[in-house]
Amino acid sequence: MVSISSLVLADDEEDQDEQDFGDEPQEQENETQEPEDNETEEEIEIMNNSLGAEIRLLQLEKALLKNILKGNMAVEVIKGLGYNTSELEDILDDMEALLEEVKTANTTSNESVQIFVELKREAKNYTRQFRETVKELLDDVKINEIRATIREMVNGELQNYSKRIQNRIRHFNRNQLYRLYGIIGETNNSFINEYMNGNITLNQTKLQICKMINQMTKEKKYDVFSEIKEENIKGKIHAKYSAENGHGKGKGNGRNK
Amino acid sequence: MNKKISSIFFLLIIFVSITLAYVYFTQPAADEQNYSGSVEDVDDDQLSDEIDDTFLEEDDEIEIGEMV
Repeated sequence: MVSISSLVLADDEEDQDEQDFGDEPQEQENETQEPEDNETEEEIEIMNNSLGAEIRLLQLEKALLKNILKGNMAVEVIKGLGYNTSELEDILDDMEALLEEVKTANTTSNESVQIFVELKREAKNYTRQFRETVKELLDDVKINEIRATIREMVNGELQNYSKRIQNRIRHFNRNQLYRLYGIIGETNNSFINEYMNGNITLNQTKLQICKMINQMTKEKKYDVFSEIKEENIKGKIHAKYSAENGHGKGKGNGRNK
Repeated sequence: MNKKISSIFFLLIIFVSITLAYVYFTQPAADEQNYSGSVEDVDDDQLSDEIDDTFLEEDDEIEIGEMV
């Protein structure tokens, strides 16, 4: 059951990847919508504690660094083709400055959600500006060539980030496991340790929780389910409230073109 | 003979008392049973969806768009 929904998620991600590497990325159209979209709202659901805030800001840092690295490579290639890249380089300078802001953002601050929403919005705006500027300079054939060149080149440099993020996510999930075990009324410490050591996967952990709940009486199962659902709804309401409160409180939307 | 009849009568009273006491004390349990009947079945898919929502996938990433 858990694996089915995970497979659906994985399938969605694959679809997203296909779109990203296609000739015309679908997200270009999506980005014209409000930045405080459902995706961001889902992301801030975990930011009601400093660990969740740390994870989201670290992920934003990685996404921004990835785009800066890709942008630098693209600039080198475009420069080699004899085009003027000063506008692109200015955008990259702004992105570097934004990266520093993300790195120094305070994850324990009450404003961390608003800070994250604003920084992410700026990161998306700079990315869009860079992409649109490249589009003005080059034709689709050259853009596709550059896309293919830079696609795989930056992955190695981001390994360190991926490991750090995975470590923080495991700590976050461990806390969630303790919370669920608290609701169930039974704790399996060895299982938590196995998950933390990487000996069992998150899906196996979820299945174990499902199994424990399914072994309960009908009434107890209903109570546990209701409590888990209630907690999840509370998180969603909190995220919606934070997103709405954060709207318009930022420092600006990046460079205006 | 009278002694026999009064013994039977006495036993009958005890039997009726026990029956009434049993009915009286099992009444709340019957209510509970009705209450239990009203508890909804938890759908397995719904349960796994809620558990999925509780955790964060380890390869979760933030998308800010492609540069090129």
